[in-house]
Amino acid sequence: MLLEVRDIAVGYGGAPAISDVSVDVGEAEIVSVIGPNGAGKSTLINAIAGLLRWQSGAIHFGGVDLSAVAPHKVCSEGIALVPEGRRLFPGMSVEDNLDIGCYRREARRLRARGFERAYTLFPVLAERRQQLAGTLSGGQQQMVAIARALMSQPRLLLLDEPSLGLAPSIVGEMFRVIQMIQQEGMAILLVEQNVGQAMEIADRAYVLEEGHIVATGKPQVLLAQSRIREAYLGL
Amino acid sequence: MSVKASPGMGAALLAVVALAAVPATNIPPYYLAFLYLIFFWIAMATSWNILSGYAGYWSFGHAAFFGTGVYTSATLATKFGVPFLLTLPVAACVAALLGSAIGFVVFRLQRLRGELFALITISMTFVVATIISNTPIDGGSGVYLISVPLPEAFGSQNGTIYLLGLFMATLTIGTAWWVFRSKMGLGLFAIHDDEDVAEVKGVPTFRYKIAAFALSSGIAGAAGGVYSIYVSYVTVGETFEVTVIMYPVVMSIFGGSRHWLGPAFGAVIVTTALYGFAAGPQASLVRGGVALGLIVVVLLLPDGVMPSLQRWWRILLPGLAPRQVLPELLVPTPRATGAVLAQIAPPLLQCRDVTKTFGGVRALKGITLDVRPGEILGLVGPNGSGKSTLINVITGHFQLNAGSVTFDGTSIEGMPAHRVARLGIARSYQIPRPFNRLTVLGNVALAASFGGGVGEAEAERLASYWLTYTGLAKKAFDYPVQLNLHERKFLELARGLAARPRILLLDEVLSGLNNTEIDEALGLMRDIRDRGTTIIFVEHLMRAVVALSDRVAVLNNGALIAVGTPEETMRNPEVVSVYLGKAHAS
Amino acid sequence: MPSLSLLEQSLITGVLTGGLYGLLALGLSMSWGLLRLVNLGHFAIALLGAYITWWLGTAYGVAPWLAGAIIVVAFFIYGVALHWVFMRFAVTEMASMLITFALAVIVESTLQFIWTADFRRYETPWGSESWIVGSLYVPKLNLMAFLVACLLAGGTWAWLRYTYVGRALRACAEDAPIAIAYGINHRRLSFILSGLCAAYAGVAGVFIALVATLAPSQIWSWVGVVFAVVIIGRLGNPVGALAGGILIGVCEALTMAVINPSWAALVSFSVLIALLLFKPRWV
Repeated sequence: MLLEVRDIAVGYGGAPAISDVSVDVGEAEIVSVIGPNGAGKSTLINAIAGLLRWQSGAIHFGGVDLSAVAPHKVCSEGIALVPEGRRLFPGMSVEDNLDIGCYRREARRLRARGFERAYTLFPVLAERRQQLAGTLSGGQQQMVAIARALMSQPRLLLLDEPSLGLAPSIVGEMFRVIQMIQQEGMAILLVEQNVGQAMEIADRAYVLEEGHIVATGKPQVLLAQSRIREAYLGL
Repeated sequence: MSVKASPGMGAALLAVVALAAVPATNIPPYYLAFLYLIFFWIAMATSWNILSGYAGYWSFGHAAFFGTGVYTSATLATKFGVPFLLTLPVAACVAALLGSAIGFVVFRLQRLRGELFALITISMTFVVATIISNTPIDGGSGVYLISVPLPEAFGSQNGTIYLLGLFMATLTIGTAWWVFRSKMGLGLFAIHDDEDVAEVKGVPTFRYKIAAFALSSGIAGAAGGVYSIYVSYVTVGETFEVTVIMYPVVMSIFGGSRHWLGPAFGAVIVTTALYGFAAGPQASLVRGGVALGLIVVVLLLPDGVMPSLQRWWRILLPGLAPRQVLPELLVPTPRATGAVLAQIAPPLLQCRDVTKTFGGVRALKGITLDVRPGEILGLVGPNGSGKSTLINVITGHFQLNAGSVTFDGTSIEGMPAHRVARLGIARSYQIPRPFNRLTVLGNVALAASFGGGVGEAEAERLASYWLTYTGLAKKAFDYPVQLNLHERKFLELARGLAARPRILLLDEVLSGLNNTEIDEALGLMRDIRDRGTTIIFVEHLMRAVVALSDRVAVLNNGALIAVGTPEETMRNPEVVSVYLGKAHAS
Repeated sequence: MPSLSLLEQSLITGVLTGGLYGLLALGLSMSWGLLRLVNLGHFAIALLGAYITWWLGTAYGVAPWLAGAIIVVAFFIYGVALHWVFMRFAVTEMASMLITFALAVIVESTLQFIWTADFRRYETPWGSESWIVGSLYVPKLNLMAFLVACLLAGGTWAWLRYTYVGRALRACAEDAPIAIAYGINHRRLSFILSGLCAAYAGVAGVFIALVATLAPSQIWSWVGVVFAVVIIGRLGNPVGALAGGILIGVCEALTMAVINPSWAALVSFSVLIALLLFKPRWV
């Protein structure tokens, strides 16, 4: 497995937001973690990206123990984060945002190729390369966020709620692009509350509820279970 | 709070009388002047603290009000021959007016907090200085007060100046103490910790800030008036000096800006260090030493020296520590159930076409929703669907762009949040936002006092009642940082309840709690409703929503897509498709 | 109405003074905008730089440019050390203001203790040289200060805009956690920036020594004006700092020429207050 998360617990002072969570992602695989809001999905993804420290358990990536890696070095291991709410650098141009993506030395060498790939995936960004990221529409901002992550030439892409706040038509487009990226051989860990879309493109899925993994397996199998309906609809 | 005679007050009175008698002894004028300077800086620092320390609006414009006072007294006494003592109240009024006027403009702009407020006040100082310097008020050459007559106390003018200084210092400390103990003081502390929450809990923030600014600048003006006769020759350069701007700040921080006596303590120490020992070339070194001391205090004791002193006091004299016991209170059994009422009574809260946009993004696209008295309404929807925005509109924190919100027949449109709170609408915050420097009891008492509109004693009684009710009574005298998440959530609940609301809006009170805690919270919420409070609660934990709600309203993309009983609503195909995707809507 | 040549002359004086304001504002604007630290001590160490330049020049005959080189290196180290303290104690914006104010007082009293409160003037052979263009005088040293201000402001602007490190600094100011997630070493960059801001103060100090009369209390005479310049130029924008400096410098010079020198201070503060009241988003 490329990414192995083993029994991690992350807390913010009080009760842990997630505990005993184990998640695996293999090469070129899309894995979805679904669950209602507040279940701890973002906490999990931020811990993998190095934004949060975990209190127990272990995360290994490509055989490397991430607990020994400084937060700003996680990216060099080949993990790129597309954070919830996009979190672009709003006062910087689209191009500058993408350049931050290839800040690390290894990625800088592939800068030209990175830009080419980004603008092929999202042609509209090429037209707006000098525009300030904060002035783009929600959908375009999401494109920049994904493109910025790809610029770092990652082996694993962490996507946190890519559909959040987007119009339904754009959501479909976004998931199509995510699938394209996977077909190029990228491993993807996707966290979503939009169950329908997330399950459609996933190879495997985990259901996170109140900080615990309560179910895992193939999407079709999971959707057939009543567990998900319960979590989302309370019935 | 009624002022009772206490040993502390007796001692303070005795000290003031003793100090007032000092000029009667044959003390050399040098020491009298030195003591006057201490009194002067006590008045300056303590008055600065009333707005800036209590409410956290750091003014770097104290010199502007001080200078206004200096020149009001100087001008009236020299050019118009007004008896000097009469010029002092005028100086106070002019400075207070200037302060309120500035506050009236500046406090309307929410963004002018922190360092921007500091900058605008420092700019005001230079503007006032330039104007005075270039107009006949000063004319650039300074004003002499040598020949201004002044009644003599203990046989000299110095005695009078000394007494005036003592009077100002006593008056200022008294005012600071009074504000500290009053409802306004509680409100100012809340503004310091979290102004938005303070407003939503019913604190009239705008009015309080102006009142504090007026008090603070008025006192500085009067102190300036006295100072003008002390120096007897006033110039713009020395009146508006940077030290006049900075010393009150330094003294308050040094002593502790959270306590009414902190700035006075800081003033005594700093003034003694500055003027007490040093004369000649060593003076500059002492000033450097004071500055170094400030750095150490800011780094190591961010709350100033006073809190540490209080701790030592308590250790040395345990008898003087305040009694920290809550009265035993019985929690009465539930009253008649409100659920029956819900069927027949007219709606308590009516939202009509409520629309809210943020810079072109429509967060709420015309929500129409009635809330019936005595019901529990669950408000659900995906992240970003507009639930929090709706809560913020109902509590008056956001002004709506179109539509109307009516509470029990009263339109709350355009009403400031603190008045909405007084109508009987209270809320809790998803991520608890307690006032961190108030005790748990203080947090709840504030909500009772401002939101519930009750007196101080009643507020404390209500607060301890709801703390007992939510199981926090043992933590009443702790500070919020000492609570765990579960307790902080319950503190939010207690703060909401203590305001005696008719509608309580709960924003994700259950998130982050474990199963037992959730069951406990659900029990509490049912009980609260049974006591007659209507509840709207936003929640993602669906089993709780279904178990608890009388009705559920579902928001998606800023629109209301379904409302009704939990079972029927959560089976609605549109709702299912929002959560699980189209394929599973069947 | 003053004559046209008087207006032209005051325009030149204003622009050149504005360059000096810009030079002083540069480091302040960068540390406030990109590190969120308000450095009141900036003025003090600029004046300290000026005194060191004067002292090395008059007592040991060290040329100003050589003194400048020493000062820049020493101040860079000071800036790094100061930032270490700020990081170590997790100092807030407000506390940074207090601490740096105290530093300014310490510098002021040290200067006063060593060199007394008397006015000092660095007499250099070039001090009185001017180019004469038509009927106008352009003092050479002031022009040089202006050119250096342009060079530094332009260079810093380009550095922030076109280099990886510069872009990374801006990214950290906008959203530090995400910048870190993309491999940016936030800590190291902020040390460099803090050192750089202090070094800019040193450069400003060298020119202050060359064109102005020195007295320890001068620290405070700049506070108001330069803060106005920093805000008018927008925080963290080096070219804006220079432009703001020139704007204020010209306004002041014209006020002096047309109305009365003593009204000059009102101009910058009125601009600042108006900006804060009517365009609070500017900051």
